[in-house]
Amino acid sequence: MRLSAIAAVLAGVSTAAADPIRLRGDALATTASPAGLLVLGGDGTLEDRVSAEAVVWMAGQRTPGDDVRGDVLVIAIRARTRDGAESARLGRFVSSLGALRPVHLDGASLRVRLPHQLDAEAVAGVPVVLGLGTGRAWDWIVGGRVARRIDDSGSIGIAYEQRRDRGIRSSEELGIDAGAELGKHTDAAARFAYDLLGEGVAEIGFTASHRHGAVRAELYGTQRSPSHLVPATSLFSVIGDVPAQRGGAVITWRAAPRLDIIGDVAALRVDSDVAPDVTARARLRLDDRGRGTVTGELRRSGIGADAWLGARMAARVPVAHGLALATELELVIPDEARDRGTVWPWGLVAASWQRSDWEAAIAVEASASPEYRHRVDALVQLSRRWSVK
Amino acid sequence: MIRLVWIGAIGVLVACAGVLGLRSARTDVFPHRKHLVAGVACTRCHENIEKGGAALHLPDTASCVSCHQRPHDTRTCLDCHAPADAVGRLVEARAHLKFDHARHLTGEAKGNCMRCHIGVADGDSAMRPVMATCFNCHAHDAGRDARSCRTCHKDLAEEGSLPKSHLAHEGDWIREHGVRAASSGDLCQTCHKESFCADCHGVTAPAIPAKRRFANPDGANLHRAGFAARHSLEARAQPGACATCHQPDKCASCHIARGIAGENLRSPHPRDWVGATENRHGREARRDPAACASCHGGAGEKLCVTCHAVGGVGGNPHPPGWSSRQPLSAMPCRLCHPIGAR
Repeated sequence: MRLSAIAAVLAGVSTAAADPIRLRGDALATTASPAGLLVLGGDGTLEDRVSAEAVVWMAGQRTPGDDVRGDVLVIAIRARTRDGAESARLGRFVSSLGALRPVHLDGASLRVRLPHQLDAEAVAGVPVVLGLGTGRAWDWIVGGRVARRIDDSGSIGIAYEQRRDRGIRSSEELGIDAGAELGKHTDAAARFAYDLLGEGVAEIGFTASHRHGAVRAELYGTQRSPSHLVPATSLFSVIGDVPAQRGGAVITWRAAPRLDIIGDVAALRVDSDVAPDVTARARLRLDDRGRGTVTGELRRSGIGADAWLGARMAARVPVAHGLALATELELVIPDEARDRGTVWPWGLVAASWQRSDWEAAIAVEASASPEYRHRVDALVQLSRRWSVK
Repeated sequence: MIRLVWIGAIGVLVACAGVLGLRSARTDVFPHRKHLVAGVACTRCHENIEKGGAALHLPDTASCVSCHQRPHDTRTCLDCHAPADAVGRLVEARAHLKFDHARHLTGEAKGNCMRCHIGVADGDSAMRPVMATCFNCHAHDAGRDARSCRTCHKDLAEEGSLPKSHLAHEGDWIREHGVRAASSGDLCQTCHKESFCADCHGVTAPAIPAKRRFANPDGANLHRAGFAARHSLEARAQPGACATCHQPDKCASCHIARGIAGENLRSPHPRDWVGATENRHGREARRDPAACASCHGGAGEKLCVTCHAVGGVGGNPHPPGWSSRQPLSAMPCRLCHPIGAR
């Protein structure tokens, strides 16, 4: 039923499309579960006014008793006026209202550009749940956002969203977002989401970056309150507010035309525990376009008894005729082994080939982890793109 | 011996400079300035510009040897006398931009190639002008207001090129994008399709192969390398972060499918999880309630209520100062607070 709807959407666009319809198929097979995955996608545009897009997938599970299953990821039509002042979406898509968390829904959204540099958008629909034929009753979501552009350099907006599960109010949030270009090389953005039902801050985030020559510096911070992220209809929403915070700075330095050095120093705080989160990474491009790279990374992360130290090396080398070889190795050393092994190694060797509209890759992955002593898996991927006029 | 060491050291430095992409000040392999000074017009080598069309208008060897009658090499001239990636960039530009030289040879740009190809004579290795150069003549306000790039770009999503300004996705973009997209979601849509967001934030999203890119170690991927082994450590360090993309039941469904958790297995919790003296579950539940909800959500919440109902042995689970706008008769309050009990 839904597949025929997808075909109808794409066919409708194809009848008068100025641009070709693009189709894409990706197949992934792995010895780990799921054993196979097929993703089909297509999109087309009609004179920059109407566009349609659909992505469906089917997976075959390795676990005995599981059937082949699949679902629709996106099926949406988007229309806009010639000047872009009004636009609308209809179908299944991900809606993101400013500072509020993205929601995958079956519904519609409308955006209108108003006088005085104001933008307004509204969204309504039914939250998506897994399964093609799942019936839902009285589950819906409605929200809106009003934003004001600040010349050409930024905007500030306020958003509201309410969600109901089986008719019961499960989430009601207010969000404020702002973003601005503070100078030619400096910009900043922030967002704030408040849980109106549970009365508390759900999420805060900010970032500010400045570029000076070959160096880019960024300050960032996040705060999340998990109890405000679970639905208010859940018992786990009533056990208090313990926000997790992370704040830090990143320096990205192009030390040489082909060499990037990145340092990320942050502090994590969860309840009364505070810990550093530090990453140092160097990436060397083997040619001017970065088709081949060598990357080395050291990381110290985790909190309390779950802290760990990690090292990663990776390389990708183009060989010839679209063929490239890649390898990756990671070692993780947990602070407290707790009978889970003192070192968790992971490694991968891969070969990929790309020519015209075809892409193929094959890899062997080997690892040891807390769940198993050792494991070897194979992965195969094949992709093809088409254009249909 | 010392001389050999010096020679070796210099050799290593030269090799390193090459690997790092360091070059001498002469960045342009082709001497445009020399030709201009000699009075060679641009169109003498870049033939048929005025005809426009899909051609790149790069000179071929025949064009070069019409003047340089004794070439020093038998190879194609452009193989060496052009920056390594210049031709590739021009091919990309031709494939993805709506541009025709013929239309630019009228009006102000007539007879003045350097109006657009700024800096070529000074050794600019990039023949393709930057976007800002276009805006010197072409008004961009309407396109910017309409969030439409299709006046010039055929299809940005397919082209995959990033602007040089602050919009370029530098740094740790996976972490940054949520904050930045909050105030400029419509801008994101100028390049990205609907499925770009849904590939991660979609409830029904599987491991999209095009995103996984296991053969490209530098591809942006939050779950890189041995993430499966360390994901529990990462989740505990940033409670709530997983819920940005994953549904609360993701943990349980995956663990059950892999045989790590399930009804027939022993409890995954440590010994001191629930007890009269040691009682870690309350602290851990406050830190990441979504993790608890993954297994004990929905009907499983009755497990909590057996102890934490009003008058139960588990005591009051609310911290001091806790408040809610939910009425006691609504879910989940009524699970613990029977009608009339506060």
